[in-house]
Amino acid sequence: MNTTKMRFIDRALGLPGAVALLCLAAVFPIFVSDSYALHFLWKILFWAVVASAWNIAGGYAGQFSLGHAAFFGIGAYASTILFVRFGVSPWWGMLVGGVLAALASVVLARLTLRLKGPFFALATIAFAEVLRIVVVNARDLTGGSQGISIPFKPALETLIFSGRTPYVYTMLILLAAVILLTFLIQRSWFGFSLLALREDEDAAETLGVDTVAMKIVATGISAFLTAIAGVLYAQYILLIEPVTVMGLDFSIQVAVISIIGGMASPVGPLLGALLMVPLSEYLRAEFGGSFQGLYLIIYGALLMVMVIFMPQGLVSAIRQPRSTWARICSISGYQRKRIRRADHA
Amino acid sequence: MGTIVVQLIISGILMGMVYALVSVGLTLIFGVSRIINFAHGDFVMVAMYAGYLLNQYWGIDPYLGIFIVAPGMFLFGLAIAYVIVRPIIGAPQVAQIFATLGLGLVLQNCALFYFGADFRSVTSIVSGKTFRTMGLSFPVASLVAFAVAVLVVIALYLYLRYSYTGKAMRAVAQDRRAASLMSINVSKIDFLTFGLGSACAGIAGALLLPLMPVYPSVGLNLVIIAFVIVVLGGMGSLWGALIGGIVIGLIENLSAFYIGSDMRQIAYFIVFLLVLLVRPVGLFGVKGSERVGE
Amino acid sequence: MLEIDRLSRAFGGLKAVNEVSFTLQRGEILGLIGPNGAGKTTLFNCVAGAIKPSSGSIRLEGAEIGGLKSHRVCRMGLGRTYQIVRPFNNLTVFDNVIVGALNRSRRMQEARLLAMDALQVTGLIPMKDMLAVNLTLPGRKRLEIARALATGPKLLLLDEVMAGLNPTEIEAAIELIRDIRKSGITVLIVEHLMRVITSVSDRIVVLHHGQKLAEGDPATVMNDPAVIEAYLGEDFLA
Repeated sequence: MNTTKMRFIDRALGLPGAVALLCLAAVFPIFVSDSYALHFLWKILFWAVVASAWNIAGGYAGQFSLGHAAFFGIGAYASTILFVRFGVSPWWGMLVGGVLAALASVVLARLTLRLKGPFFALATIAFAEVLRIVVVNARDLTGGSQGISIPFKPALETLIFSGRTPYVYTMLILLAAVILLTFLIQRSWFGFSLLALREDEDAAETLGVDTVAMKIVATGISAFLTAIAGVLYAQYILLIEPVTVMGLDFSIQVAVISIIGGMASPVGPLLGALLMVPLSEYLRAEFGGSFQGLYLIIYGALLMVMVIFMPQGLVSAIRQPRSTWARICSISGYQRKRIRRADHA
Repeated sequence: MGTIVVQLIISGILMGMVYALVSVGLTLIFGVSRIINFAHGDFVMVAMYAGYLLNQYWGIDPYLGIFIVAPGMFLFGLAIAYVIVRPIIGAPQVAQIFATLGLGLVLQNCALFYFGADFRSVTSIVSGKTFRTMGLSFPVASLVAFAVAVLVVIALYLYLRYSYTGKAMRAVAQDRRAASLMSINVSKIDFLTFGLGSACAGIAGALLLPLMPVYPSVGLNLVIIAFVIVVLGGMGSLWGALIGGIVIGLIENLSAFYIGSDMRQIAYFIVFLLVLLVRPVGLFGVKGSERVGE
Repeated sequence: MLEIDRLSRAFGGLKAVNEVSFTLQRGEILGLIGPNGAGKTTLFNCVAGAIKPSSGSIRLEGAEIGGLKSHRVCRMGLGRTYQIVRPFNNLTVFDNVIVGALNRSRRMQEARLLAMDALQVTGLIPMKDMLAVNLTLPGRKRLEIARALATGPKLLLLDEVMAGLNPTEIEAAIELIRDIRKSGITVLIVEHLMRVITSVSDRIVVLHHGQKLAEGDPATVMNDPAVIEAYLGEDFLA
């Protein structure tokens, strides 16, 4: 939220930087045709998209949802059921899934209006889990815990392609759209209202911000975009199961990437994905055979460290290295300062 | 028909008491430090594995093991409190939620690494024994669990009510600043409470071990149940955790029978969402506690 | 401008505000005083939309605002400050005030200009790019007022703005309040410090035990025996 002079680092972490990264991603498939590399790039873009979508509600409006898998799953399932059962194109599926997810988010918002912080997070977990259990049990419609597999019918209308490159470009376009939207929101009155309500809901109300409406809109947008990502995911992986697309792991991962990268920043989630996806791939490759959980241990440890020392994420750590370092020193060094502050809480 | 219902109700209450013990730890930590320990279920898991190890390598009966596991978990809790909880008190919400979440991830996957994903069980001196009366039958293990859990909760209540530290804990729970002005070392109380809460989780784990197998993600289900109980009973309320535990134990057992095992989670999730919607402070909650994080 | 008609608010059995009525004329500064527990803050919160009245009505320029949510009330032209200041800590001073200005215009360019005006009036321009969390207490109080001013209020409610300020700062705050009135805004000020209230208010309303005890210009009210009795034993010589 800067009205001051732009330093290079601000430009790098702002719109120009984002555009540069996206262009890089765009030319990557021209030079690289290795299937695994492209899949890797797709993964980064995918997580950047869902994390950016989460960011709109979580980073800007302060709604730390741990239930975004619900929206992801609604998108994936709605579109897949329409496609596999009724031959409806996923382009329509995106619309239907997005709208359904947005409606679900309104229900969630209504349920959680008065909840803050961890209670809100808990409620979102419960919400997503209920949905997941319903999906697992509605076997006739959803294929139960086996999920639904999607027949490989490449065509533009089906958003299924034979090579990896078109998938990379579709995800890239979606990412560009979400990042652009985030930039626009950030500079708009809507973005300011969200930040105000994130900081202090009651004070924002007295300044004329309709916090309830704002929260609902932000969550709705976030849900809509997450659902669209769900559709693209389905058409790429060609198999959706409740444990993957509606599971708690997904919800946590999405939130973590956005948090580590930097919430309330359009570029933060992308940064987060750029860090976390290669990290997890590397760890999985190194230790995956003998042990799949090691990467999660490091992941969890990293999460703890980041959240304690750099709760604003990488973006603000890079922007303000001095105050970040001061913070790290004060937490690890002088515990008294921390505890005195606790007495204010 | 009638006996089945009675059987279900009683075994629900028996189990519910153990859930209550887990939740008591959680609600205590919240009441005093205003921290929600997302890793609480994994603490139970750690205790269960500890009991398992004691049984496997030294042949210690799980019930005897409580005397080792409980203090061990207390110390474990102290250590965690010092390293992780201390920096997040008064920190932004995101830190408070995700630090313990990260801890839970680490604990679960360390268990996965060390023990693998298989279910492991132990035998205790009461294994396989059932208590039968009036056409009802209960595994002795769950009766023992119930009894011990009741004793622990009563002991905890007395401690909080009559001991100096217990009173200090209640003081801090009510007003941190005032407590520190009364020369209570608030951060020491935070640590002690976390240790105590962890010990409760530990005892619950030791009691559960003879009843169910242990596996790395056993904590996940438990922590969700614990949260539902704590929200239902009211964050920060001992009685709430107790009564909430019994209620949820009942609901879980009854719905497992009538709706089916995989759907039973829905029952208490719906209770959870209803409580959050209708009365977020819970039955006995401290008013305004649902707005924690401001 | 503001009509409060038999306003009551009860908490359980306790009537914090009990059938209070008074009016505020446009362009005046009305002081609201009373011993601790008199119901000033409750009344204030009812008018501002933070809590719902139990009965009675509150009319702003003829329109009923009792029970409306804070943001609606703000839209209708009522601004308020908080006794314990609540700045948006992680935003700059400028951004803080912009949030207020957005109440008047959704166009960012315009909002920025309006925000600058509010900053000008409260003397915060030198600090506009500081993070709000880094301001001193008087700075935060000014920010609180600047934000409320930016919303373009017809009526401004000031809740114990003087608390915690030293005498010099208090003088500056009094000047600011007078400037605010000069710009055409009506002010309702709740305050403990007698010196401040008597020097700044055109009229004063005294509350005691939730009821209106006295109303009138400062000199009359201060000499009212009932008022003196209510305050007997309390030392407010600031």
